[in-house]
Amino acid sequence: MRHLIAIAATLVATLSATAASAAVDVFACVPEWGALASELGGAKVSVYVASTAKQDPHRIEARPSLIARMRSAEIAVCTGADLEIGWLPVLLKTAGNNKVQVGQPGYFMAAELVPRLEVPARVDRAQGDVHPYGNPHVHLDPRNILRIGQALAERLAQIDAANAAYYQSRWTDFDARWRKATAVWEGKAAPLRGMKVVPYHRDSSYLVNWLGLTEVTTIESKPGVPPSAGQLAALLNRLQAEPAGAITVGAYTDPKAAEWLSERTRIPVVTLPYTVGGTPQANDLFSLFDDTIDRLLAARK
Amino acid sequence: MYRARITALAVALVCTAPGIALAQSNTELEEIRKEIQNVRESYEKRIQELETRLQQAEDSAQRAQETAQRAEQQAQSAAATAPAASAAPSQNAFNPGISLILQGAYRNYSEDPDTRGITGYAPAGGAGLGEKGFSINESELTLSASVDQLFYGQATFAVEDEAIEVEEAYAQTSALGHGLTLKGGRAFSGIGYQNSLHPHAWDFLDPALVQNVFLGPNYVMDSVSATWIAPLPVFAEVGGEIGRPVEFPFEDSNHSKNGFTGGTLFARLGGDIGASHSYRAGGWWMRAENRTDEGTPILDFDDRTGVANTLAGGDTEVWGLDLVYKWAPDGNPTRRNFKLVAEWMQRKLDGVLTYDNGGAGVSDAFQAKQNGWYIQGVYQFIPQWRLGLRYDRLDSGSIDSGVNEANGITAADYSPYRWVAMVDWSASEFSRLRLQYNHDKSQQGLTDHQVFLQYIFSLGAHGAHKF
Repeated sequence: MRHLIAIAATLVATLSATAASAAVDVFACVPEWGALASELGGAKVSVYVASTAKQDPHRIEARPSLIARMRSAEIAVCTGADLEIGWLPVLLKTAGNNKVQVGQPGYFMAAELVPRLEVPARVDRAQGDVHPYGNPHVHLDPRNILRIGQALAERLAQIDAANAAYYQSRWTDFDARWRKATAVWEGKAAPLRGMKVVPYHRDSSYLVNWLGLTEVTTIESKPGVPPSAGQLAALLNRLQAEPAGAITVGAYTDPKAAEWLSERTRIPVVTLPYTVGGTPQANDLFSLFDDTIDRLLAARK
Repeated sequence: MYRARITALAVALVCTAPGIALAQSNTELEEIRKEIQNVRESYEKRIQELETRLQQAEDSAQRAQETAQRAEQQAQSAAATAPAASAAPSQNAFNPGISLILQGAYRNYSEDPDTRGITGYAPAGGAGLGEKGFSINESELTLSASVDQLFYGQATFAVEDEAIEVEEAYAQTSALGHGLTLKGGRAFSGIGYQNSLHPHAWDFLDPALVQNVFLGPNYVMDSVSATWIAPLPVFAEVGGEIGRPVEFPFEDSNHSKNGFTGGTLFARLGGDIGASHSYRAGGWWMRAENRTDEGTPILDFDDRTGVANTLAGGDTEVWGLDLVYKWAPDGNPTRRNFKLVAEWMQRKLDGVLTYDNGGAGVSDAFQAKQNGWYIQGVYQFIPQWRLGLRYDRLDSGSIDSGVNEANGITAADYSPYRWVAMVDWSASEFSRLRLQYNHDKSQQGLTDHQVFLQYIFSLGAHGAHKF
């Protein structure tokens, strides 16, 4: 009997210890926020990334596995600004998790924290799958990462108050490293200023804005709608008359149209990682920017 | 000697005279030094004061600059969001979110849908086929929003020629946590796969045969329901509903009974296999009591008797298994993807069958056990284009009709089936045009060639689709 009590006591102690030390379950909609949560949360968070760099963040299926992960999440770190509108609402509605509902500390929408580009003056789906809250691909400007990172560190500290100091120190460290890295990137990318690029989808506007590139046009004539043969021919004429430095495609986009244009215009296609995991080199947020700039610089030569 | 003393004195005097003078000037110097010191101190003080003031000024200047920057940022973000606010009414930001599905079709049948039945299942005219020619009968209006911090509400109205039908109108909890969701109101039952999908989300124009005859075509209940998702890395869900079936399976599921005339139970498992494959499999059960006194014409024996037989009392029970499997290279369905759905159902129908032959009714206990299934695949081979194929089958099963066996109330010696092929094109996520051909052999001795042209347009709030 005494043994039993001892065993039970040990069990309870172990269980409560694991409960106390259990990492915060983070549901990251897209890889960039998963990477940021890992940078700031370190060993105190357990990050599940719902999509990969090979997947179009607009079009993720609300798969059963995602519902299962959302059910146990303590914080959902997503982009917002309607990027995940085709799937996130289903997850939130069916997962039975009160912690991640709108307005709760566990509902973290990154794009809401930064000024957004390309907010349409009028919203009409004749313009394609436009985002009424502006371009949601905010993570390709490192200054946005800082704004979002600070808010995320604060949010993690709010959710997991026992480790608030830990998140604060991780943030201070990240902040310093990131500022230093940003200065290096800006120096390295100085020759790119004014470079003409033709992205496939308008997913690099923040990069273009930050580095002072010039976006000539996009291959998609309307967001989310693949170009027709006629539109490609018109684009070909335009690019032959007015050459650009690079045609850029994200890792998740179909490169066919870009390659077709490249063959005929001799403008190189540059596959940009777009997010963490998009290329073998882009393993985390730092190398995402390293690799993006390296690839653009290589295209210039 | 004396002189020497004087000289010495003089020398001393001379020597000391400047000393006196020096002494005098020393004190002055001291004073001057002090003054200087004072001046310096006061200067230093002032300089310090000035420096601190300067510092403060600089600080406040910086602060002012920061404030200005922040203000600018805020202005920028305000500028960035302001048009969004004004743009919001056509989107989800509008409260409630409004979504209008415009749906219609052109239907061409080689046999008359008004006389078509399904052998062993539905009497003539009961095959559930849509109207000939052009029609807009499936347009839907959905309104949805969070009710407050605890509840979420949604209503879907089907707009038809004679009426606006309430397809769904329910509220569900959003703040219970622990994987638990309670729902109340009128809603498509959560059993099976196809049952909870609205017609615009179907992969073919029509529901599967087995879905149509057993659940027809969406089994709807006025009910309360609970679902619970287990805290596991794989998807594991159990749930149940209890309430009153609406219209189906019995034409008039009236309010003649306090409490419940229908209930369901379901369980599901789902997950991913690598990045490219995902699945969900489930099993379910439903039961509905027949409270009608007049009886419902459910089975097809017309061709044998020439008159309608009716079923009263008793109940219907249906068991089912459902499987959904999806494939997309690297989990990115934008270019190519494949979806496979298969469902199997078995129905047990109990009641009192009245064999009505020219007014002379013969009633006896009746029981039918029947099953059916379908399998369908839809393949998106290039962006915007999808091909689909479905095979439907029903088995006649077994029938125990007591004394009415002598009147020919026995299982049909025929298994209805149907081949369905479709191709659809979507200009965007919000529109779809579909061409479909059905090779329908669900009525013995007939081949019904059916051709449909369908459009589905989605306006307003961006729909989020279930798996």
